[in-house]
Amino acid sequence: MRDATAKARPAPRLITLTINGEVREVMVRPRIMLLEVIRDHVGLTGTKDGCESGTCGACTVLLNGKPVLSCITLAVECDGKTVETVESLSEGGKLGDLQEAFLDQGATQCGFCTPGILMSAKALLKNNPKPSLPEIKKALEGNLCRCTGYNAIVDAILQVSDQGVAPLMK
Amino acid sequence: MSKLKYVGQSLKRKDGPDKVSGRAVYTQDIKLPGTLIGRVLRSPHPHARILKIDPSKALALPGVKGVITAKDTIGVKHGFVETPRYPADQDVLAIDKVTHVGEEIAAVAAIDDITAQRALELIEVEYEILPGVFDAETAMQPGAPEIRPTHPKVKEDLVNIAGKTETEWGDVEKGFAEADYIREDRFENQLRTHGYLEPQVTLAHWEGDKLNVWTSSMGTFIKRAKLSRTLGLPYSQVRIHKTYVGGTFGGKIDLYSHEYCAARLSMLTGRPVRITANREEIFSAYRHSQTLTIEIKTGVRKDGTILAQRFRIINNAGAHRGSGVVVIFLAWGFIMGPYRIPNLKYEGYAVYTNHTTRAPQRGHGAPKVRFAVESHLDMIAEHLGIDPITIRLKNARGPWEQLPNNDNTHEAGLIDCIKMVSQKSAFLDKWRQARPPADPESPLRRGIGIGVTSYMSGTLIYPNGSGVIVKLNDDGSVIVLTGALDVGQGAETVLCQIVAEELAVGMDDIKLITSDTDTTPQDIGAWISGMTYVTGNATRQAATHAREKILKVASEEMGVPEEDLGIEDKSVFNLHDPQQRMSYAQVFSASVAKHRGDTIIGEGFWRTMRDEPTHPSLATTKGRWTENYAFSAQVAEVEVDIETGEARLIKAYTVHDCGFPVNPGLIKGQVDGQVSMALGQAFMEEVMTKNGYTLNPNWLDYRMPLIHNMAGSEDFEVITEQYRIGQPYRTKEVGEGLVSGVLAGIANAIYDATGVRLTSAPFTPEKILAGLRKLEREKARELA
Repeated sequence: MRDATAKARPAPRLITLTINGEVREVMVRPRIMLLEVIRDHVGLTGTKDGCESGTCGACTVLLNGKPVLSCITLAVECDGKTVETVESLSEGGKLGDLQEAFLDQGATQCGFCTPGILMSAKALLKNNPKPSLPEIKKALEGNLCRCTGYNAIVDAILQVSDQGVAPLMK
Repeated sequence: MSKLKYVGQSLKRKDGPDKVSGRAVYTQDIKLPGTLIGRVLRSPHPHARILKIDPSKALALPGVKGVITAKDTIGVKHGFVETPRYPADQDVLAIDKVTHVGEEIAAVAAIDDITAQRALELIEVEYEILPGVFDAETAMQPGAPEIRPTHPKVKEDLVNIAGKTETEWGDVEKGFAEADYIREDRFENQLRTHGYLEPQVTLAHWEGDKLNVWTSSMGTFIKRAKLSRTLGLPYSQVRIHKTYVGGTFGGKIDLYSHEYCAARLSMLTGRPVRITANREEIFSAYRHSQTLTIEIKTGVRKDGTILAQRFRIINNAGAHRGSGVVVIFLAWGFIMGPYRIPNLKYEGYAVYTNHTTRAPQRGHGAPKVRFAVESHLDMIAEHLGIDPITIRLKNARGPWEQLPNNDNTHEAGLIDCIKMVSQKSAFLDKWRQARPPADPESPLRRGIGIGVTSYMSGTLIYPNGSGVIVKLNDDGSVIVLTGALDVGQGAETVLCQIVAEELAVGMDDIKLITSDTDTTPQDIGAWISGMTYVTGNATRQAATHAREKILKVASEEMGVPEEDLGIEDKSVFNLHDPQQRMSYAQVFSASVAKHRGDTIIGEGFWRTMRDEPTHPSLATTKGRWTENYAFSAQVAEVEVDIETGEARLIKAYTVHDCGFPVNPGLIKGQVDGQVSMALGQAFMEEVMTKNGYTLNPNWLDYRMPLIHNMAGSEDFEVITEQYRIGQPYRTKEVGEGLVSGVLAGIANAIYDATGVRLTSAPFTPEKILAGLRKLEREKARELA
């Protein structure tokens, strides 16, 4: 019944990804984006699907350590690479410092942009442990947040990088 | 008064760990085996008669499991307002004609998204194109294409009138006759979208006798009501489950066609059906805010006292009544709240046009109204030679003022808000300085402006009240069952703080079960600015009820009168002998053993304006609107580049009377977010349309504030109410009224910086430059 449809589609390919330290083999058609592999094939739903067009940043993950928009990154191009998602930030159920700083500053409200913003922030802090305000803005310019006005997010990054911002919440 | 340990503290979000770890489950994260993908066929025309719909080719496509059109519905209409005066006017799928681009005509369910998309393309629809009308003032005039009949109670010679609000008090003509100065202005606003990050998405699963629904919404009980009615199912057969919600801002209340379609397709196919709207659909077919044209005439005394005001507001309400008739009612409320207006005449028209249907949006008209009123007031003050602070203090409402609709301002803190914001921002030192920066060559000019607002805190609209259950576990910890929905505002945290305070348990000792229509009590939802007041008081009452049971059992067991008992850290103790104590776990066992199995369950419920039978009249404004008016005064400092016309918000100062803050940190988050929304509205955001088609249906072309646009934001509270354990309390709104003062303040600050008075939002570089050129021409003319 699906033959006609199947013929029209390019052949799937087997790709290997290391997602959050775990090696995964996934069969994907060439049009499939990395976001779909992460959310639907592997089942890690922490990474969010906000626009499917690379404009909101909610789907940001790290590919070989660099932030990418997984909704416009073809999965087949990620063959053999490592992927880090928001789920990698906690270990054994314990939140990491960056996540704790977001809670300390009230930097998450609806929470939908949060996974992507955390990954952009993680990439920034890895290479630049004490980023300046312009550097923070540059690193997060691809992430939309409609709830916070960004102020608390900046404060969380300043707090975790030990730049004199005290927790707002207790 | 006992010292509060939880209420009033900036405690971390209860839902925070789920949200920063990726564990939080949103609607798009729910997976069910065998789920079909649904897609919606939308009108390509702004106004057309449907002559024929033929879905047969789509149905024949392999992989397609179901197609629905209007024929598959029971024909029950729905609407944001469903009252005798304003009956529902919206079909879940268009029947005989479409009235906006993107209106829903049919829906398909298929095994995957590509098949679903192909199926849509195979549905054959024949249209007869009708002339469209897009401008509200044109649409009102006799001879304009008729979208829907004018409301039968509107007797003027006008067409396409969805509804009218009309009210007056005092003697307006007498007021104008006594005025020393009369001024008239007209203000306009742009179409703006909500910009929620999580797209509209619904998963529905019909299990033969039960419809399970997960949907990104602002209130599960209202969704249940509307889905039940349009599907013809008893409420008990529809269950809306809790999911986290990725932003709403007004755009996810009421019923959306895709929710109906997912449910109906699941009922037809017997399989779960998911429909997700893509961003282009959301921008071009879903509901945005409403564009109001506001005409104001004000008469004042020389000292700035308002004597009379006349308002005429025209709302471009889009293709259905939507919340269009609510906005023209609310606009009146946002006008009469902050300042004393002894004589007022108000008229508001909601006009059908061939634009998408409209929804509430954070502030529900208040930002537009306050931008107009506050700009107009500054113009009057300038003419009279009065500063902006003085004229506002002259007219600001004080405590215990009885309003014309029989509401009362109660402990209104507005006057203190104005005074404090003036002082915190050093307003009068900066005002009229058009402060150029240190470099005299610089094209940058600074300005400062103020805006004032009042906002309702809960009103009566279905489901009108909230119930809460607080139950003890046998280890002494607590479970709270509430229908409240956390859409990011912090509902779960605030309700836990109240329970923690009333029962002396830690925040971590409380587990919440929320917003599930089958297992939690009914709740007003996260859309009428009443959660902390209404659901909060219900929660307090439920916790109090549980505490009374705990104390009664402990008193019996310990042989100590209840009034001599205290509670702390999940235990009851003798106030005169603190060593004598019982843990809640022991109390629980004793209660079960000796009170016929009573497991200590507390019930609470709350309804605002309990003596009012119903909501106020949208048409006449008669009847009470709210019992808690929130007040605020906000100052904006802007910087304008007079060479490029680019303006930006440097800093916003917010001073507000929210009664008392249950969680100041969460409130700061609300303030910062509203400042950001205001600056987006002020400088960049606009859904551009031509003949009903959206020209910028994505986030590259529709500019929403980025981190680069972030502005400084400081907030301060004027405390007017108190929380006392075991007592009812009053809190006031803080989640949507604070866009207005910043937007209005920005408009006034641009004038302060440049002399350019903008009467239409957004305040784009083009408009500012045009204003500067006009000033130059006027100056040259004067010199000549």
